[in-house]
Amino acid sequence: MGIKEVIEMINRMEAAGVIERYAIGGAVGATFYLEPVATLDVDIFVEFHTEPDSQMLSPEPIFRYLRDCGCAMEGEHVVIAGWPVQFLPAGSALVQEALTKAVEKDVEGTPARVFTAEHVAAIALETGRAKDKARVLQFIEADAIDLQRLQEILTRHGLAGAWKQFERQFLK
Amino acid sequence: MKLDLTPILESKRAFRRRAAARPIAEKLRMLDALRERTLAIRRASNSGPAKKPVVRETRPDLRATDH
Repeated sequence: MGIKEVIEMINRMEAAGVIERYAIGGAVGATFYLEPVATLDVDIFVEFHTEPDSQMLSPEPIFRYLRDCGCAMEGEHVVIAGWPVQFLPAGSALVQEALTKAVEKDVEGTPARVFTAEHVAAIALETGRAKDKARVLQFIEADAIDLQRLQEILTRHGLAGAWKQFERQFLK
Repeated sequence: MKLDLTPILESKRAFRRRAAARPIAEKLRMLDALRERTLAIRRASNSGPAKKPVVRETRPDLRATDH
């Protein structure tokens, strides 16, 4: 049991049309570019379908599919292969862009769609908790992002001020 | 005596670079192991003997009961 099995399950959900497009973000997404850092859950960003009788976007088809596969619910998480997995909507323009531009990586023969390093960093900066700022610093220290590209993303999404503040706090 | 931390910090940076450069499948297995370890530590720290509260929230009963 492990994250690879989680990715296989998400791929099956995409193939079955339960979700349209997904991308891995958060600490697990960052691990595709950096050294692994302990995390307790997996963040999967998805486009939610609308329910047939409603205009509201709903995660219910996802939960229904996973319940039928024998997965347990744990608060806002679904436990897949022992990992609590959180399905998050692409709720902002930045996350929507991250989902569109996500890249495919190969995990020992299993395809995995992941946010680009610059988008993981931009979303971390937008989220803004201490651990998110630490993640941005990790990307910079490891030289794992294209800073020019990151700044373009931040400017496009109104985060230039947050970047300036981050620079003042940690880089000068 | 002065301790030069430079080689220690450089060795840590090199270790992190090596960990980051490992194949992704291996890094994901490391995440699996790290999570197991974190949960084990959490379980162990929650299962110890209950600590006596330092702050008493109710006044002790000071009335004499044996007369």
